[in-house]
Amino acid sequence: MNAIIFSAIWGVVMMFSSAFLKNKNAIRLLAITGAALLLALNILELYQASQGVHFLSIDTKGMLAFETFGMLANTVAFASTLLFLLFSAKDIEEVGPNSGDYFALIFFVLCGVALVTSYNNLLMLFIGIEVLSIPLYILTGSSKRNLKGNEAALKYFLMGSFSTGLMLLGIAFLYGASPTGSFFIDDIGIGHGPVSPLFVVGLLLLIAALSFKVSAAPFHFWTPDVYDGAPTPFTSFMATVVKGAAFIAFIRLFADSFGEAQAQWQLIIAIIAAATLFIGNITAVFQQSVKRMLAYSSIAQVGFMLLAILSLKQIAQDGIILYIAAYSLATIGIFAVLGRLKDQTYEGFNGLAKQHPVLAFVSTIFLLSLAGIPLTAGFFAKYYMLTALLQTGKFLWLAIFAVLCAAVSVYYYFRVIQAMYFKEGVEQEIDASAGFKNLLIIDVILIILLGIFPQVLINALSILYL
Amino acid sequence: MSTTQILFWFLSVLAIFSAIMVVASKNPIHSVLWLIAVFFAISGHYILLNAQFLAIVNLIVYAGAIMVLFLFVIMLMNMNADTEPQKNKWLKIAGVIAGGSLLLVFVAALKNADLKNQLAQVNHGDIGLISNLGMELFHNYVVPFEISSVLFLSAMVGAVVIGKKE
Repeated sequence: MNAIIFSAIWGVVMMFSSAFLKNKNAIRLLAITGAALLLALNILELYQASQGVHFLSIDTKGMLAFETFGMLANTVAFASTLLFLLFSAKDIEEVGPNSGDYFALIFFVLCGVALVTSYNNLLMLFIGIEVLSIPLYILTGSSKRNLKGNEAALKYFLMGSFSTGLMLLGIAFLYGASPTGSFFIDDIGIGHGPVSPLFVVGLLLLIAALSFKVSAAPFHFWTPDVYDGAPTPFTSFMATVVKGAAFIAFIRLFADSFGEAQAQWQLIIAIIAAATLFIGNITAVFQQSVKRMLAYSSIAQVGFMLLAILSLKQIAQDGIILYIAAYSLATIGIFAVLGRLKDQTYEGFNGLAKQHPVLAFVSTIFLLSLAGIPLTAGFFAKYYMLTALLQTGKFLWLAIFAVLCAAVSVYYYFRVIQAMYFKEGVEQEIDASAGFKNLLIIDVILIILLGIFPQVLINALSILYL
Repeated sequence: MSTTQILFWFLSVLAIFSAIMVVASKNPIHSVLWLIAVFFAISGHYILLNAQFLAIVNLIVYAGAIMVLFLFVIMLMNMNADTEPQKNKWLKIAGVIAGGSLLLVFVAALKNADLKNQLAQVNHGDIGLISNLGMELFHNYVVPFEISSVLFLSAMVGAVVIGKKE
């Protein structure tokens, strides 16, 4: 509850800050302070929940449930946001003159994040997903002179509202199918006897809408255009924090397995996962722009994350938190570097190692982590996903297919590394201050720490709870 | 057939016919006018289901405000039958197949749906009146109600950001 209320309030504060503060640095500082406070309040709530006391306790009539899993996911999302703001707050100011409003929208998105990680009722899921997406439509089109950005924003808005409509229809069907007429997931999720066609249709529509939000395969067509067209800092935010939160919503929805419908939806999700892995990885190979390649690679990573939904075990929940953390750390870092380059194709990276060895080194670690090479966080993230899948005893084919796809992904990640280290490039000016480089190095240290001690994150956060 | 049934069939036929006309009309203005007919028919259904408040709100908000906005946009963009872009033939066929499949799935789902014993109350019943709706909204559904304010606020901030002069 802390997170929901505070992020909404801080959104309003940021909104007013652009009216009353003329100094851009002050606005930026205010946003970073807000993200840090939000993170602190969320950890405080995690700790307090274990002591049985509550800073703010509101009777939500069971609509919201603040469980450890959701709050851990919040912690990862807010920490990523803090890191993102530290990296990119300056870039956000360059997008347009209304930086205070952009920060306000980011805090509203965080309110949506806190909602979808704690919903217990399909109505709250709907509102949460909407709070999550509407500010993003605006942020995508925030660079008003950029035609590509405008196109991306309109496309995202139209397709996004359509998918929200489908989701609402699905929720209505599920409501109709439940014998007592209930929106609560604990009620719908356990299933009621034989599966009715009404229920299957509702569930299918809901799967389609959520797959759209996380950009899983047959619903991924918006992703490359939107990620490519949006200003780079916002792409970074969308691909990490928002995608992770939508995923938590997805996994929470299926946590109760839907009774007798389990075999049916598991097969559908397995097919979606396989298609996502295949399309994401194969298309990424053929891209010329690194930004577009990263968009496709984010689709491919979703394929891996979908494996966690198939497995209903505890390890899947731990694994998905680790996966989101590993993926966010690496993606935010690589986008921060990419945002500083003038040429965002592979040629832009040519010879980076000679001129800017630090940037080249950190980018290498980020890309290795995304590819899932041992000693980086990405390795254990993928390992957890596969273990969770294999523990179900089914879907061996999917696990083998996922490993093959991960092998394909190494190719396009290494193309960037090859360009940096083994190709000659022209001299280029990169605006990278010492503070920026230090942050990148801290990010790398975090990735390597998570790669060596993957349990640290889960334990450190759960110790507060136990 | 009772009056309710006659009304139900009349409204259903009207709604479906108007909805088809929305899609089939070449002139966008005609589409909007047919859409208004759809909203009226749906409002009639709401009244049959004892949702009087919803019926009125549907009329005021959708048939009133939203439709006026639609008309404004269409007239400002000066769209008419001549400027309608030529659509790809294959795209049309793909659309028909996709839409038809969805229709098939919906019909299959609703055909066997066991809803017969859950018919709406007719003739009596005041569950759709404002007082009852308000009690429900501010008791059981107060959290989503309040949180949707964040949604509207973010949409407003967004509209200002998009609309502001640089």
